[in-house]
Amino acid sequence: MQEPVKGTVTPLASLFPPEEAQKASKRVQDALADRQSELDRLQGFIADNTALVNLVQRLPDELHHDIMVPFGKAAFFPGRLVHTNEFLVLLGEGYYAERTSKQTVEILDRRGKALESQVDSLKAMMKDLKAEVSFFDATAAEAVEGLVEIREDYVEESSSERVIERGPPKPDSPRFSGEDSMKVAAEDEEYARMMLRFDELEKEELAAGSGDEHDEDEHNEADVDHSLSQLSGDHVLGSLEERQVRKPLHHSKDEYATTEELLSKQHFEEDFANQLKSKIQLEGLKEQSVPKDSDDVSHGKSFANRATQSSSHGKDNIQALPTSKAETSVQSSKPATDSLKAFTGSIVEHTRNIQMNPREQAASSSQSSGSQPTKPVSRFKMQRR
Amino acid sequence: MDGLIQQKVQRFEEFVDRRLKPDLVHAIAERDKVFERQEVFSNLRRNIENLEKNSVTSLQTMVNLGSEVYMQAEVPDTQRIFVDIGLGFHVEFTWSEALKYISIKEESLANQIQEYTRLIASIKAQIKIVCEGIRELLQLPAER
Repeated sequence: MQEPVKGTVTPLASLFPPEEAQKASKRVQDALADRQSELDRLQGFIADNTALVNLVQRLPDELHHDIMVPFGKAAFFPGRLVHTNEFLVLLGEGYYAERTSKQTVEILDRRGKALESQVDSLKAMMKDLKAEVSFFDATAAEAVEGLVEIREDYVEESSSERVIERGPPKPDSPRFSGEDSMKVAAEDEEYARMMLRFDELEKEELAAGSGDEHDEDEHNEADVDHSLSQLSGDHVLGSLEERQVRKPLHHSKDEYATTEELLSKQHFEEDFANQLKSKIQLEGLKEQSVPKDSDDVSHGKSFANRATQSSSHGKDNIQALPTSKAETSVQSSKPATDSLKAFTGSIVEHTRNIQMNPREQAASSSQSSGSQPTKPVSRFKMQRR
Repeated sequence: MDGLIQQKVQRFEEFVDRRLKPDLVHAIAERDKVFERQEVFSNLRRNIENLEKNSVTSLQTMVNLGSEVYMQAEVPDTQRIFVDIGLGFHVEFTWSEALKYISIKEESLANQIQEYTRLIASIKAQIKIVCEGIRELLQLPAER
């Protein structure tokens, strides 16, 4: 619980500044343009080659062709082609071979194939470059948008904690499940403590020698009630703290939707609180049915104990949270609920309110998930400033 | 005041980079083209003079069909020669006529080259002047 912030949150803009990404994109685009011109050149060669193949195939049809024989670059003599089935083909490195028309066509075909394979490789390269360009563009766009990268090392943990830490990023489910499992863990611990206390009380009772016939039933009921009230007690306590924390946060930001949300949540929690009160009263009545006053008092104490324990839990959790609380400078010392913890590792990048609101509404309809996402918002905003 | 100077300097620099330097590059490229043309004609003149000297009447050559594929060609009569006079026109000349034309052509090409050289020099001078102006605006000490 006390371990430092898990994982790191880096804004993409700090890793890849948008201008740099755009520059990179520009450079790759230039390279792409080069490749494109190269491709055009090669395709020109291919066209020349096919034209030449046609010509070479046609030339031997006649014994000689009347042409203008070039004489230097700027002059021609009227003349004619002779020996129309004799070609001198450059093999490379200044070596020429005398070939017939057919053989020349074969050579030219092989040249054409080589050209085509070059074209293919060039096209593949261009495809890569295009992908690169789109990647750089996307990176630039994302950096401008303020995307953040969240990294968290995987650490082996107890299953209950892992659920909390690695809860799925959906805002509605993880809070609930995370909180639940957290509570289970807390409950186990406290249950044991409670049982100890009960044993003590039992001994006292036995020592006092009264209320022996009620004992068993009483305890069972008390157990159930305790676990219940503890559960809800945690909740109410947490939510009270939460409210204290959140309200100023909301004032600092302009998220009306979430305040609405919060209100509904408050109602919900008030209901919860009422239930709790009635339960406590019930419990109190039952306790009163037990003749010993000292029991009652001690119970109250244990209750108070638990309350402080759970609140200290809350504090623990808040320390495990990213330090954004302190940055917000709004009641940073106030503990938040366990559920906040569930969100530390799993906030999805986009910090837009637009995205948050529908999710929250969905969450609120299902449960009192509330305004968790607002916290990350503030956090990222802080980082961006 | 500083801002004004900065603006002016920037404008001058833009003028140099966007206008004068491309102009200079263009002029040099044009001059190179003319040089090439001049070389072609001087080669032609030398070749014709060679033919005259050896009194060649018929001629066997290899014609490039493209992609370094050659075929033999023969010229039965070398007395008449068709010379490129520009814009895709070729004129039929005798050797002496061709030589006369080539000398005139070479002269005009030399003139063109001179013109381009002058143009290049003036562009260079303009660049220098603008650079001097920038220097004065920034009140830097003169070079050398």
